[in-house]
Amino acid sequence: MQGGTRKKFVQLARCANTLMAFDITLRMFRYRPGQAAHFETYAVTVPDAANVLDAIEQVWDKHDRDLMFRHACHHASCGTCAVRVNGREVLPCIAPVKNYLDGAKALTIEPLRNFSMVGDLLVDVAPLLQRQETAGLVITRPVENHLDGKPIASAQGLDPESVETVPFNRFEDCIECGICLSACPTMAASTKFFGPAGLAALKSQLDKTTDPTERARLLDLADDEQGVWRCHSAWECTETCPQNVRPAEAIMALRQAILARKFGFGK
Amino acid sequence: MNLSLPENKKIRFLRWFDFRSWRLGMLAYILNRVTAIGLVLYLYIHLAVLSMLTGGPAQWDPFVALARSPMFLALDVLLLAGMLIHGLNGVRVALTGFGIGVRAQKPMFVALMLVGAVLLLAGALKIFME
Amino acid sequence: MSAPHVLIIGAGSTGSATAHDLALRGLRVTVVERGEIASGTTGRNHCLLHSGGRYCVNDQEGAIECIEENLILRRIMPHALEMNDGLFVALDDEDYAFKEKFLAGCAACHIPAREIPVQQALQIEPFLNPQIKAAVQVPDGVFEPWRFCTSFLATAKKNGATIRNFTQVNDLVFQGRAVAGAQVFDHRTGKTEIIGADLVVNATGAWAGMLAAMAKVDVPVAPTAGVMVAIGKRFNNMVVNRMHLPHDGDIVVPIRNTSIIGTTSWRVTKPDAIEIPQDQIDKMMQAGQLLMPILKAGVQRGVMAVARPLIASANVDARDFSRTFEAFNHRKQSGVAGLITISGGKTTTARGMAEKVSDVVCAELGVSAECKTKTTPLISYRDFYV
Repeated sequence: MQGGTRKKFVQLARCANTLMAFDITLRMFRYRPGQAAHFETYAVTVPDAANVLDAIEQVWDKHDRDLMFRHACHHASCGTCAVRVNGREVLPCIAPVKNYLDGAKALTIEPLRNFSMVGDLLVDVAPLLQRQETAGLVITRPVENHLDGKPIASAQGLDPESVETVPFNRFEDCIECGICLSACPTMAASTKFFGPAGLAALKSQLDKTTDPTERARLLDLADDEQGVWRCHSAWECTETCPQNVRPAEAIMALRQAILARKFGFGK
Repeated sequence: MNLSLPENKKIRFLRWFDFRSWRLGMLAYILNRVTAIGLVLYLYIHLAVLSMLTGGPAQWDPFVALARSPMFLALDVLLLAGMLIHGLNGVRVALTGFGIGVRAQKPMFVALMLVGAVLLLAGALKIFME
Repeated sequence: MSAPHVLIIGAGSTGSATAHDLALRGLRVTVVERGEIASGTTGRNHCLLHSGGRYCVNDQEGAIECIEENLILRRIMPHALEMNDGLFVALDDEDYAFKEKFLAGCAACHIPAREIPVQQALQIEPFLNPQIKAAVQVPDGVFEPWRFCTSFLATAKKNGATIRNFTQVNDLVFQGRAVAGAQVFDHRTGKTEIIGADLVVNATGAWAGMLAAMAKVDVPVAPTAGVMVAIGKRFNNMVVNRMHLPHDGDIVVPIRNTSIIGTTSWRVTKPDAIEIPQDQIDKMMQAGQLLMPILKAGVQRGVMAVARPLIASANVDARDFSRTFEAFNHRKQSGVAGLITISGGKTTTARGMAEKVSDVVCAELGVSAECKTKTTPLISYRDFYV
């Protein structure tokens, strides 16, 4: 949109009752390998319903096309956009700008911690996805045929190759955004730690399989110096997870399963 | 201090002290580490002090006098605080660590710290009264 | 002699699937993308794996493409899809009257469809508007856009392709009038370089016109924006559609723990950072609540808008542009060799689009290799990060 039209949009937005726009300031982390990292400040105008990701995109669109940041789905499904806003890990795609307007200070946007930095808000997420792959988490799972506790008739799958009843399925809750790895203090101390997401993946996969060999493989991965025993209970992963995966609880449940296997109780 | 800087790669645990992201669980985690370091230091100081016994009453008596000064007693209270925080939080970590009360880790921390505060008060009174 | 080198511009669904197709045919492939994978139209789409039901009355060509590709994707990326079918429900008498046309359309396009009793539909989907008059079940599904693209790209990479995201095309490079590569800027390194290619594929979707302009050729792509509203709770197992001609706010797609209401349609001049008028959002919410009244209770999680790369036709409203796709060989159209544009279509049909453009690419390069993507299972999207 051209400057004039844009101004008109903002004015219009401010006139109407239901429409509002905010002028906000973003303090963005800027970095390129070999150059000094620093913060740069940008002023943008975003509509009432905007989330932080919209504001970041405005910076890219209006101020600096060299800004590197990840984003794809804009509805908390792809997990690419995770950053830190005012020091805390969030998915900017579902974080309303409105929530940060108290005190009307600048929003500070920084990349995730505990990953190698590539540039600006971009970090190398390979270690995360490789752990998930090691855990072998399949990203869909069958679900019980009920919603909110209400049991419902089973779905009649319309797969033309089979007409029998098929269960519903769901994508896993974990969107592999890396927020828990960034928030985890153990991850900050050791890059070898399997990490909250990876351990939660082991637990999810363990719940899905009854095959003893596969279960043994998963428990062996968890029962490692760098596995569940490396967690020191800061609970940051569960606190920050935008998808309610509760990795810390998965870790504790894995410990129970490992002990049960070792001492043969809780069959 | 900018804890995001890549130059800090070697001392990444410094990020523990980026207090902007602290929540109760993280606070407990930090307290546990700080008190642990304090208690280990105390243990060595304690051993060093005990070694003074080899010097006989000439060395030991002045120390006992010092140990009775209010300043020193305040340090005793601090030591007790560290022990209570670390010990009681340790109970919480051990319980949750094996799957007991995982959803209640925050109230559990608050409750244990309240217990700690009461014990600390009682202890402090005892230390200063005697 | 080594295999010809093809440069694909854009790593949305089309570019990603094309990279996979061409790599599988043994060509040397490089993909450049200015940002993250799927950060354009593909990322912000509805995540709907179309059965074709939505188009089976007014755009049967598009509908047939959808059902064919739907069935193929279920085979090549089974673990990356939520396959819970979809329901088309009639809300009023007008919708009910449309039912026969709808069923006939499904039959004509070979979309498996079956009417289920209203009572049963309400049992399966307890949050549907209880006033519905009819329900038809079709094999809709849900995919996850970023993983959809990275699955194709991971497989392409395994087969030798080079994928460079955060690499922006500044300009095309010419030999005479023919396109011979592109001058790109790598945001990671800050360096500008030239990537030579025997052929350049313009897979930039809604941005295709801007890239084509660099070669001074035209493509009739009409960036058509659509708004989607994400609600932070899931209320339905199946995709819920209103049984009538495609209209604003007549579909609720559930993905993970989210429901996405969509969508509107209006033409935009510039596909970047589209401003979303509030009335579009309100319209979405109202229409969505007609289908599922409970959506009112949900928390609005996000609103997104992005431009679809529809093929424009004169004197047709944006909503009625066909959802089909088209490969433009600019040598034949404007005498500019070395550049092929693929546009239109939907993410559901990305593989089919890739097959078509890869056929054109191979014909142009004199390579005879068959498309194998219909039967080749994709590897894990996570291997993109190997």
